[in-house]
Amino acid sequence: MRKFMTKALATVALLAMTAGAQAKETVVWWDFLSGGDGVRMKSLIDEFNKTNPDIEIQATTLEWGIPFYTKVQTSAAVGEGPDVMTYHLSRLPLGVDSGVLREITADELKAAGIEGANYAPANWKAAQVDGKQYAVPFDIHSIVLFYNKDALKKADLLGEDGKPKGFDGIENFDAALKKLKDAGSDYGMSFQTAGDGGVWRIFYSLFNQQGGDFYKDGKFLDGDNVDKAAKAAGAMAKWVSDGVVPKQTDYNPSIALFTSGKAPLLMNGVWEVPTMADLSKQGKLGFEWGAVQIPTLFDKPATWADSHAFAIPDRKGKEISPEKLKAVLTAIKWMNEHSISWANAGHIPAYIPVTETEAFKTMEPNATYSSLAATAVFDPTSKLAGVASPVYEASANNITTTVNGDMDPQAGAEGLRDELQALQE
Amino acid sequence: MHTKSRDNWVAAAFVAPFVIAYLVLFLYPTVRMIFLTFTDAPLIGTGGWVGFKNYLRLFNDKAYINAFWNTGYFVLLTVIPNTLLGLVFAMMVNRQKGYVQSLILAAFFLPYILPVSVVFRIWEWIMDYQFGIAQYALDAFYGERVAVFRNKAWAMPMIAFVTIWWTIGFNVLLFIAGLRNISQDMYDASALDGANRWKQFRFITWPLIWPVTALVLTIQLILQLKIFDQLYLLTLGGNVNNTMVLVQYIYKQAFQLNKGGYGATVAFSLFMIIVVVSVLQYQVLRAKPR
Amino acid sequence: MNIVKIDFAGRLITLVTLAIAIVWAFPLYWAIITTLKPEFEVVQPGINLLPKTWTLESYAHVLTTTKIGRWYLNSVVVSVVVTILVVMMGALCGYALSQLRFRGRTVLWFTVLASFMVPIQALIVTHFVLMSQLGLINTWLGIILPQLIVPVVVIVYKQFFDSVPKDFREAARVDGAGEFDIFLRIFLPMNWGVTTALAIITFIGAWNSFLWPFLVSTSEDTMTITVGITQVKDNFGVQYARNLAAAVLAAMPVAIAYLIFQRRVTQAIMLSAGIKG
Repeated sequence: MRKFMTKALATVALLAMTAGAQAKETVVWWDFLSGGDGVRMKSLIDEFNKTNPDIEIQATTLEWGIPFYTKVQTSAAVGEGPDVMTYHLSRLPLGVDSGVLREITADELKAAGIEGANYAPANWKAAQVDGKQYAVPFDIHSIVLFYNKDALKKADLLGEDGKPKGFDGIENFDAALKKLKDAGSDYGMSFQTAGDGGVWRIFYSLFNQQGGDFYKDGKFLDGDNVDKAAKAAGAMAKWVSDGVVPKQTDYNPSIALFTSGKAPLLMNGVWEVPTMADLSKQGKLGFEWGAVQIPTLFDKPATWADSHAFAIPDRKGKEISPEKLKAVLTAIKWMNEHSISWANAGHIPAYIPVTETEAFKTMEPNATYSSLAATAVFDPTSKLAGVASPVYEASANNITTTVNGDMDPQAGAEGLRDELQALQE
Repeated sequence: MHTKSRDNWVAAAFVAPFVIAYLVLFLYPTVRMIFLTFTDAPLIGTGGWVGFKNYLRLFNDKAYINAFWNTGYFVLLTVIPNTLLGLVFAMMVNRQKGYVQSLILAAFFLPYILPVSVVFRIWEWIMDYQFGIAQYALDAFYGERVAVFRNKAWAMPMIAFVTIWWTIGFNVLLFIAGLRNISQDMYDASALDGANRWKQFRFITWPLIWPVTALVLTIQLILQLKIFDQLYLLTLGGNVNNTMVLVQYIYKQAFQLNKGGYGATVAFSLFMIIVVVSVLQYQVLRAKPR
Repeated sequence: MNIVKIDFAGRLITLVTLAIAIVWAFPLYWAIITTLKPEFEVVQPGINLLPKTWTLESYAHVLTTTKIGRWYLNSVVVSVVVTILVVMMGALCGYALSQLRFRGRTVLWFTVLASFMVPIQALIVTHFVLMSQLGLINTWLGIILPQLIVPVVVIVYKQFFDSVPKDFREAARVDGAGEFDIFLRIFLPMNWGVTTALAIITFIGAWNSFLWPFLVSTSEDTMTITVGITQVKDNFGVQYARNLAAAVLAAMPVAIAYLIFQRRVTQAIMLSAGIKG
């Protein structure tokens, strides 16, 4: 009898366990985070899955940029695709316009305990179109200047505080790049000179350092803004033609040039901070590194910035169920609350309570460059702008071409203006 | 008359699978595509009737014209080299015997059975700007490294080369089969007459292999007009306009920009180009005496 | 003295042939060798034709962290089904066009001829719409269906069936055999070679096809191997060896099959050189 009881109990327990397993809500998750970013996101997801036994995130990482957003768009249109995905806020107006994003209502947010007050007002608002919420911000990310302390020291460009000195002002910066090259490096600086992203971010920063308006009152690069654009593109083109910045270099090789010591400077996103940190920790970097805010080359400081957010695709004919929505929002909330380890990937968390912790305030190198937040400039708010948008493409066609010396700066700036204005009308 | 109608039924049973598939998966989509070209529909969903607006746009669309010429350029870079090299390699293989022949043939044919993604990975790695083995050669002979798939001047010829490397094996096989059909007696006889290698090729091999050459040219031409896969993969992340081709432009309009109507118009133009080219080529090749 | 006449030009051509063959095969060798090196060794400067440290780590990584098994399964199912259906439909239709007299035969034959090498790539837009309406996005069937239109198979079968002597058919008819019997027992077996050839070519084509499977599978679970290894990214830093290991795994089954059946494969394809366009 006793034996029978144990057996019965075991069966019941087993049934309970399977029942539990069945009740488990799976959340299909898509992101575009690779490299150091990807590693940190993966461990966040693993931790979430461990600490939330009733929800399981199944993550897929797809190629950043056009491939990712194309897949998102076509799958949403046919009722396929993930339950939740990462999304760039710069692209939100475009995403909403093409019907890819599902509104997250105030009630749904409230029920999940996600409060707008926990985010910087501008950041929270950037996740809205016409007052409707379409995403929840996760971070603010920007570009910084990575530098090789050893090489800078050799060229006498390293200050007492261990930061680069004499970089402000375009003439000084040009001279510094030349000095670095003369001191024995292959190049003065590296950045992604092939393709869209790398060029756009620097171009947009330099453009805004001149106080330009990229898009205003329905017009792109109106009036003398086109000249400011030409000046920004011209400065970048000069680096390439002077041979201090490598020509037509892809994303990964542009980083490899820095990590292998061939280029002592690298302008790239904060998301590469973990790459440097990890290599340095494994002793594979071969030099001391640091990261600072992009120097002010023109009239005032300004740095391009964007924001990663979480969004829910509007799957036509296959809407997300209330239960799944609840699980998704739980995951989003959890991710934000745990975004201190995301800060570890170089980003500035969007969730204010995390940025107010001592751990974040003293985190390096974030603390060194966090000053950029005050002068950060986001992509223009337009349904033509954002990652993998017409603005990125027009920049690749005109500004990237200019930077690589195949187009005159003024022609490049005007080409950019005309291409976008034609789409606007 | 009873048997006649029975025959019709039997035949219907034989042709039904193909005909049904043809109607549903070819004819219907084609008609629908033509219909779409007159609308401004998104990829999924309906749109308004816009008449010939999409067609007019085609002729003023710089990006489309660019894609058109790029496609032509790619065809130029691949079709004839792939055919002629195929013949040359076939003659080389044909001279060898036994396991040496099998080995050499395998070297030429093995790439053909690789999926395009594998071809992409291999060449992405070989030409890698930073670590690619071919960059040593470029450094030595050209003087500097080149990000070949990102560079306007290099990209198309390089992709054409990769395409030839990948697909030539099939052409080599077709040519070998053709060469084996040429009787050895003819060569022996001409050798007695003192003909050298070139004369043998010019007066025996070339005319007799012509039907195979024509076949390979036809297959190549139609195939290369539809170029997308390897080009898309190898140039991903670069300036896509350098190498934008027609199929890629269909993809861009319909799937990236969600413009189903205009995408269909680009598609229909490609469709018509292929039809015209096939008819022209058929006429030209038929003119040659077999 | 010239009993043995040495053919210098001939030897030179042989040497050149060998050299080209080596150059042609080198990328394959280089890809495989790279996968056997640890990642840090891969990015070291200099050319090392053999790994300093041999490792299978890249393969272990790909096999344990990606859904490559699932992609294999998808590829195998899709390619096998496409091959069987294309060959079967082509043989049946080719037989009817070659041996049977029926209404609409001429129209059908000219339709097939006219759509010789139809540009399926031009139909991606409407195929996508159609598959979406049928609810076949992200399904095997959705990947398979648009690949079934291969009129050239019909043309090839018709030509080969045309060359079967009339006597065979007449004799069978006298014995009271039906059309299906004649097709299955006489025409198919007599043209086994062409069936093999078409099956091999169709299979390679389906296994390698990229554009359509790439469009129609948005979920990781339904991707074929050709699509999966390029679309799904990995989260670990330098990954040249891992990317290549995934590629080698993707290529392996067909490559091994080819090396085993080399003679048969090449003969089968050569047979199709007899096709007149």
